[in-house]
Amino acid sequence: MIPAIYLENICLSKAVENKLPAVILKDICLTANSSQITAVIGPSGGGKSSLIRLINRMSEPTSGSIYLDGTDIFSINPIDLRRQVAMVLQKPFMFEGSVKSNLLLPFSYSNSKFNSDKQYSIERTMELTRLSPALLERNARSLSLGEQQRVNIARALITNPRAMLLDEPTSALDRPTADGLAATVKEICQNSMLAVILVTHDLRLAERVADYIYFLDSGVIKENGLTTDLLKQSRCPELIRFLEEPDLLGR
Amino acid sequence: MEVQKIINLEVIDLVISYGLVLFSIGLTSLSRIGQERHLFWSSLRMVFQLLAVGYLLQMVFSIRSPWPVIAILLIMSAFSLQVLGARIKNKMPNFYRIVGLSIFIGCGGVTVYFCSLVVGFSPWYNPHYLIPLAGMIIGNSMNGASLAAERLTSEITERREEIETAICLGATARQASQTAVRNAYKAALIPTINTMAAMGIVSLPGMMTGQILSGTEPIIAVRYQIAIMCAITGAVAITAYLIVLLGYKQYFTDAHQLKDQPTS
Repeated sequence: MIPAIYLENICLSKAVENKLPAVILKDICLTANSSQITAVIGPSGGGKSSLIRLINRMSEPTSGSIYLDGTDIFSINPIDLRRQVAMVLQKPFMFEGSVKSNLLLPFSYSNSKFNSDKQYSIERTMELTRLSPALLERNARSLSLGEQQRVNIARALITNPRAMLLDEPTSALDRPTADGLAATVKEICQNSMLAVILVTHDLRLAERVADYIYFLDSGVIKENGLTTDLLKQSRCPELIRFLEEPDLLGR
Repeated sequence: MEVQKIINLEVIDLVISYGLVLFSIGLTSLSRIGQERHLFWSSLRMVFQLLAVGYLLQMVFSIRSPWPVIAILLIMSAFSLQVLGARIKNKMPNFYRIVGLSIFIGCGGVTVYFCSLVVGFSPWYNPHYLIPLAGMIIGNSMNGASLAAERLTSEITERREEIETAICLGATARQASQTAVRNAYKAALIPTINTMAAMGIVSLPGMMTGQILSGTEPIIAVRYQIAIMCAITGAVAITAYLIVLLGYKQYFTDAHQLKDQPTS
């Protein structure tokens, strides 16, 4: 079976003034399948966000290949790719205007006119993200952070993408709101046949929703496996140390 | 109406007028704001620079050749670019290339249009007309150019989150930076709009005042002022438009990626 997303030997380094280039990511291989949530966990500064940004070409790797359903993403127009591989950034940014106008933005970027299909898309994504239709005409910036993050996800899903990248989606939310959002993401992934890649340092979130986990530390995948196996039978000292950090599991 | 002959200012008149600068220096010294030296040196610079320009222009006027005129215009443009560069701290990538090209096309194009179609002097390089008119067009466009370049940089820096969100949603670099570009362009045009609105009521413009002092009939001076204001507006609008249009692209790659992304 061809994986929805496949990263092969990805390396990323960045130029540093008057010094050798800094290695951000080294030989990363990662697979994400449809209807599954693949989490990338690890300490801050380990390269998680840099990694996820490569998958929808928000930045470019130094070397390596990335495939979407078997097609090299560098052969796809970057604008088209970003419509197929949606990305939700850490802090939800709401554009001026109503929730509806925010949801319609991806269509306006592709210059397509509003029609019944789009109305259906709005209704579908509102339902998927468990947003009340009563919010549609509300000013998007007046919503709570939790609601804004749901609108953020709904907006990313409106073009019916093949995969979704989530960069620390619950970091700005309180625990009950984060748990509610996590449950919604899990439902969306299963109901929409989406391949979801979740970047987080929140182990509790990864444990609740992820099917498969990659542990990324200092730009290297130190360990990977099924969620249940990895969190309970890890032998990697860095991961054991990471798992033992207080509050990561919300305990 | 009888046209008055211009009153020539002798050296003694300049000395008397410089007394006002000396009075100002005394006043700042009393106020203890520590600006006496700046005031003194600036006033000396002003005197020597203007005298040098005066003698240079007199020399250029006497040579019947387009080359000295072109050289003066190029030097003026280069200085305006250098002043702009010194004024702006956070410069956009390729600042000098973009602003230089924009000033060249915006101010150069408007100067050619204005001098050939509106004033219509002969020969085309007549320094009596070309140098002051082009000087006013370039000088007044500098403010708009500076505002456009400076504001575009700050808008794109401050709106990074908004721009990246739009790109993630499938926007092109142009669509994602639309608000930043519009705000920068608007900021560049506002001073020109305000100057036009206030002209004649709040202030009497320098060119018109100068012409009236030199004996030109007020209505002719007013016609010149109206025409030059139209030219300045056109030059500011074109120069600033080119700066924001070429400028925003410097922040993006060909794959519509915002450059200099922070790492996690």
